Amino acid sequence: MKLHNKIRSILGASLVLSASACESFLDVNTNPNSPVDAPISGLMTNITYETSLNVFRSGSAVSNYVQYLASPNPDSGSDTMEPLNFSGTWFSLYNVMTDLNEMNIKAEEAGSLHYLGAGQVLLALNLGMTVDLFGDVPFSESFNFTTVTPKYDDDQVLYGNVISLLDQGIANLRATSQTSIGADDFIYGGDIPTWIKFAHTLKARYLIHSNGGSGFSAAEVLATAAAGFTSNADNAEVIFFEQRFNPWAQIAINNEALLLGGWISEQFIEALDGTSYPVVDPRLPLMIGTTDAGEFVGTENGAGRGNAPEQGARSTLIEDQFYTRTVSPLLISTFSELKFIEAEAAFATDKPRAYQAYLNGIEAHMDMLGVTTVAKTAYLTAPSVAVGASALTMDLIFKEKWVALFLHPETWNDARRFDYAYKDFSPPANLNPNLGGSLIRRLAYPDSEVSRNGANVPSVSLLDRVWWDQ
Amino acid sequence: MKKNYAMTLLFLLGFLASVPLYAQQTVKGKVIAQEDGEPLPGASILIQGTSTGTVTDIDGYYSIDVPNADAVLVFSFIGFNSKSLPVGSATTLDVVLATSASDLDEFIVTAFGISQEKKSLGYAAQSIDSEAITSTRQQNVVNALQGQVAGVQVTSSGGAPGQSARIIIRGINSLDPSADNQPLFVVDGVPVDNSTTEAADDRAVRGMTNRIADINPNDIETMSVLKGAAATALYGVRAANGAVIITTKKGKAGEIRVNFNSSVGFDNLVKKPRLQDEYGQGFSGARQENSFWPSWGANIAEENDPNYVYQDNWNKAFNTGTLIDNSLSVSGGSDKATFYGSFGRLDQEGIIPFSTWSRTTAKLSGTVTASEKFNFSGSINFTNSGGNRVPHDRFLERMMYWSETTDVSDYINEDGTMKTYGNTNPIYDARFATYEDDVNRVIGNVNFNYSPTDWLTFSYRLGADFSSDSREEITPGPMGIDGSLALDPLGRIEETRINSRDLTSNFYITLKKQWNENWNTQLRVGNDVFERRFDRVTATGEDFVIPGFYNLSNTTQIFAGQLKSNRRLVGFYGDLMVDYKNFIFLNVTGRNDISSTLPTDNNSFFYPSVNLGYVFSENFELPSWVTFGKLRASWAQVGKDTNPHVLGAFFVAPSVFPLNGQVGFSKNSVFGDPNLRPELTTSIEFGTQFAFFNNKANLDVTYYKSNSRDQIIPVPISDATGFSSYITNAGEIENQGWEIVVGGTPIERGDFRWDVSANLTTNRNEVKAIREGIDQIVIGSQFGYVGSTVTMILKEGQAYGNIYGSSYTRPGAVEGTETLDRDLPQLIGANGFPARNGNQLILGNAVPKLFGGIRNQFSYKSFEFSFLVDFRSGLEQYNQFGNFLSAFGKQEDSERRDQTIVFPGVLANGEQNEKPVFLGQGVGPDGVNYGAGYWRNSVRGVSENFVNDATFIKLRNITLAYNLSPELIERTPFRTARLSIAANNILLYTPWDGFDPESFSAGAGGNAVGFTGLGFPGVQSYFVTLNLGL
Repeated sequence: MKLHNKIRSILGASLVLSASACESFLDVNTNPNSPVDAPISGLMTNITYETSLNVFRSGSAVSNYVQYLASPNPDSGSDTMEPLNFSGTWFSLYNVMTDLNEMNIKAEEAGSLHYLGAGQVLLALNLGMTVDLFGDVPFSESFNFTTVTPKYDDDQVLYGNVISLLDQGIANLRATSQTSIGADDFIYGGDIPTWIKFAHTLKARYLIHSNGGSGFSAAEVLATAAAGFTSNADNAEVIFFEQRFNPWAQIAINNEALLLGGWISEQFIEALDGTSYPVVDPRLPLMIGTTDAGEFVGTENGAGRGNAPEQGARSTLIEDQFYTRTVSPLLISTFSELKFIEAEAAFATDKPRAYQAYLNGIEAHMDMLGVTTVAKTAYLTAPSVAVGASALTMDLIFKEKWVALFLHPETWNDARRFDYAYKDFSPPANLNPNLGGSLIRRLAYPDSEVSRNGANVPSVSLLDRVWWDQ
Repeated sequence: MKKNYAMTLLFLLGFLASVPLYAQQTVKGKVIAQEDGEPLPGASILIQGTSTGTVTDIDGYYSIDVPNADAVLVFSFIGFNSKSLPVGSATTLDVVLATSASDLDEFIVTAFGISQEKKSLGYAAQSIDSEAITSTRQQNVVNALQGQVAGVQVTSSGGAPGQSARIIIRGINSLDPSADNQPLFVVDGVPVDNSTTEAADDRAVRGMTNRIADINPNDIETMSVLKGAAATALYGVRAANGAVIITTKKGKAGEIRVNFNSSVGFDNLVKKPRLQDEYGQGFSGARQENSFWPSWGANIAEENDPNYVYQDNWNKAFNTGTLIDNSLSVSGGSDKATFYGSFGRLDQEGIIPFSTWSRTTAKLSGTVTASEKFNFSGSINFTNSGGNRVPHDRFLERMMYWSETTDVSDYINEDGTMKTYGNTNPIYDARFATYEDDVNRVIGNVNFNYSPTDWLTFSYRLGADFSSDSREEITPGPMGIDGSLALDPLGRIEETRINSRDLTSNFYITLKKQWNENWNTQLRVGNDVFERRFDRVTATGEDFVIPGFYNLSNTTQIFAGQLKSNRRLVGFYGDLMVDYKNFIFLNVTGRNDISSTLPTDNNSFFYPSVNLGYVFSENFELPSWVTFGKLRASWAQVGKDTNPHVLGAFFVAPSVFPLNGQVGFSKNSVFGDPNLRPELTTSIEFGTQFAFFNNKANLDVTYYKSNSRDQIIPVPISDATGFSSYITNAGEIENQGWEIVVGGTPIERGDFRWDVSANLTTNRNEVKAIREGIDQIVIGSQFGYVGSTVTMILKEGQAYGNIYGSSYTRPGAVEGTETLDRDLPQLIGANGFPARNGNQLILGNAVPKLFGGIRNQFSYKSFEFSFLVDFRSGLEQYNQFGNFLSAFGKQEDSERRDQTIVFPGVLANGEQNEKPVFLGQGVGPDGVNYGAGYWRNSVRGVSENFVNDATFIKLRNITLAYNLSPELIERTPFRTARLSIAANNILLYTPWDGFDPESFSAGAGGNAVGFTGLGFPGVQSYFVTLNLGL
């Protein structure tokens, strides 16, 4: 009996003791791997880095559509415009927008208006890129976790958000900030005046997309462009790192190691080598490599390399050129692009201004690549280039912008607005038979959205156009 | 301390108020089995002619008061012949009981290593013995359970050396695609780690090992499978999916015994897809020597060129795998102490070149009976395992790309570079891109039992399971030789160090009382503490400065990462067993768990169970041919926590940083619901067990139903929400089914004996509810070309495992129906080809509706022969391999590429299609350009073509053994000698066109089993084994 009582009390006491010890013993669920909060500057670093990669990802997604690049293999889906799954690119775009939303809230709370302004500009850019690729996308129900199946917003309405974000961004960048941006900003290192120019340049880019539409105002574009970049020194770019190579450089390195990629389209080479146009473009040898025989030979989109070997018989991206040094910049937005926007906007009303902007756009790109003055002058005075203000055509503006925005995703927006009407542009071999001979107008919604948010995903075909492409 | 504790305390202490006291003249002793000298716990001792009696304790000891020296004690135990002994002047009576001629497999090792009479269980449990475990020669004990136990589905994830195998008991309980739905593995009373840590990166799946494979099957005495929540309530949350209780071999009192076991085996590919051999490298029917396309080229016969012949690469690429397994054990002991020690070494080479695994084990265990009141035991098991893990998905993908007219086995140049026409050679890659793991693991436990009186025992058990896993991945970069194709443009090395430590502490008190001849009770209360710490450090270097020198310091870009976790559980439990007249058995349990992984407000949860067994054959007069009959019923709950460190939202620093001295942060894409509650599974079970004709035949039937609600699921959500995954209590799943076990000895005549046992399981499940606001939960998806990606999706009211994907358009389909009806006619488009429907329809279900196995054993004099057949049916899987074959023109069907046919089906206007179309590439005989052709334009983009019936019947094992006869063995130094030959998986019947449909790509850890991917192909094996005993 005594023993029984003893047991009872020991057991009781030990249970009570262990109960209080329990609490602290079990308090080990704090995440040892990830913090619950992050500094604004840490977010800025990743946002600027990832935004430049989003430009790369988008550019890589569409470079075969605008025939900068071509697959070495026949019937490759990226050449033939098949519905490919861009779940990864979609994730990256929304991942950066999520971080931007987070950073902007923190910046606003802290009165760090420069961070807020820069954040709004980059949110506009990432949203704009997403809309340009996919059309209607979720945004108004995004990031605040009120629903797990956010609805899709109208793409034209979203363009309103893009412009308004840029306007707010400009206002905040002009305001007094509690904290200053510094080396955490991989684009400008905290140079606020240039951020403001960048915001205007982007605004000009998104405004020009509706050229020909009802609400378009060329004057507004020109006024905006005037506050944009004034030289190549203003270019928005992220210079890559010894520890992390420029992704186009990586493609060139991979191709050198026979992991094929970065093959140049026949269309692009013929536009620059004197085939499609009478003048040979001095930029060609600064942008892409030659065959072993020192020639520029492209690959026909959709047809593959035929009997050509993997190496030496076709032009590809090669390492250590302007776009392909391991520490080359990834270009987000350039002075050259702005000049072509200006040329397009002025074309209807002010031909001389358009013509000057057209020449300046070419020159800015050539300066960027380091074309010699002699070669530059030769090209800029060649009859097929220096056509004079009155003979300037939209075709020429689009052609030169196409060359100047090599590998940049903005070109696909231009190509769609221009109906792919580049000179001698031919549809790819083995074109996706479901397109009925037409060319792709948008990306398919990614598999991840179809499976997770299927009820909201609009039913579209690859021929359905985004709002500004009508 | 939460409210629940108070309840638990009351529950536990309520039973303590009853303790016997009577002190008279006593007889004590121990009851052991004649066969193995093991103590018999629960044996009954009755004073003849009276109703006074007792039962033996866990170690076989008993103590009984007798009126006088004339008393006769009757010792009895199910499955043994009873024995009557007069007491006389003895105060100690040790008794040896012999097994009765035909026993009923009566004992089951249940929770905490307690051997329990199966007769007394109110739930279904099944055990298999060492012979059945080792006869299949599986190096992984999970595989040894294949087809042997009702309700248990074992799936080998592939044929790689050391590759994981998955075990699921009574269906999926947790819907979380990454949840471990596998049972808890318990070795000698201590739970051990059975996780499968796949390679950290998603570049390649490598078929890693599930950790229980570190146990040498030769050391195992028995395994019992506890299926329902009732059986496992005492182990708590970690046993929510059941438990596999492994009891290892122990030393026995008597002379020292030595056993030697040696086995040699060979593996071959068991099955291949049907492949075409008529067309070679190139595209559009044109031969191209360096084309990326392996078999869309010219007709080989028409080319008639010795440089363009079919190479039979699929047979050249796979080797004959080998397995060599040796083990030696020494055991023995005295009345006071026993020991068992063993060494084992296994070396295996797989059918994919350069895939290897080896395992070295050493084990020492011992028991000491210090006094009648105190005994202790302990064991320590050391394992070193690992090998080179060839990434099977990548190997098979590269096989897919490899030209059918170029010899794949001619893969290396004299200078060591890859010999290739352009594509990466799979064998070269397998040889030089290595991934080696090296696991050192120690599992140990110590047990103390102290019985101050005959009705009270204090027990303590401490278990530890440490493992360190050192992994090195090397992908060579360019070797600096022009024109050579490197495996990686820079080269990379990744060093991974994993340290894992499990500690389990279990203290319990056992109180026993035989109230009178009718009533016998046993109460156990205890406390259980568990901790698992895990730490993985990864360092990756890229871009080797000196080619071929593989060290992190020889790279220009270095990234590091770390993953730590800590999970702790504290449980309090009580277990009351009541036995009335040895034919009604009632068992009530209660347990309260507190988990560190849940929010503090929800982390303590109580769950009870009750079960009842009624042996009516001891209560009623039954026909004489009914030897035994029992009914049982149980109701039980069990809770389940979540993974550590998932609550809330976090920020992560991507491993690419620091860059320019800056570290970037990004919001983590996973959000853990801060109000997460524990999952709760409630299960009911009814069963009956019969034995007929003096145990010549037996039958066991069980019906079970379990509902798991508040499922904790990482729901994949739109990236546009700001997260990609939301961990929350999101649903309820119901599993129900029948388990039938039939067995017996149809023939026993002279020296000949035939035993048979068969099991059959049905499982039906339904997603009963999904949280409001979530329409569906994506379990996983697997890639298919151009819109043929398939997704496993959960929707309310549907079964788990539905595979969604694209299909052919069928005009007659009922509006709004979600399930594809393959019997309806297809719509043929204006181009003459079947039209594709991109809407996601249910194309099949990946959970088998019916599975089972049958094992036959024959013995005649010194010969034994046995075979095990198992099957599964009623399931479909996604054949990703088929999808790739279609894209690359390698499947047999593509031999029709020179044909022009009319697709059967209806046109949009309802008329029958009559338009002939050419199936090949380019311009057909009709002058129409067919582009990339039927298979690339149409077939590969339609998921329906690749969601196929994955039913199979396998001859899982066949064994012939010869035991050296006693007359012969007397002339040798050996006590026993046995030679056996065995074969596994040599017969496979399945409608599946591919490799063995049992292989799947995800590894044992995941639940997305419907995706076969490019898994490591299944193998058939042959073994020769020699056992010698000294």
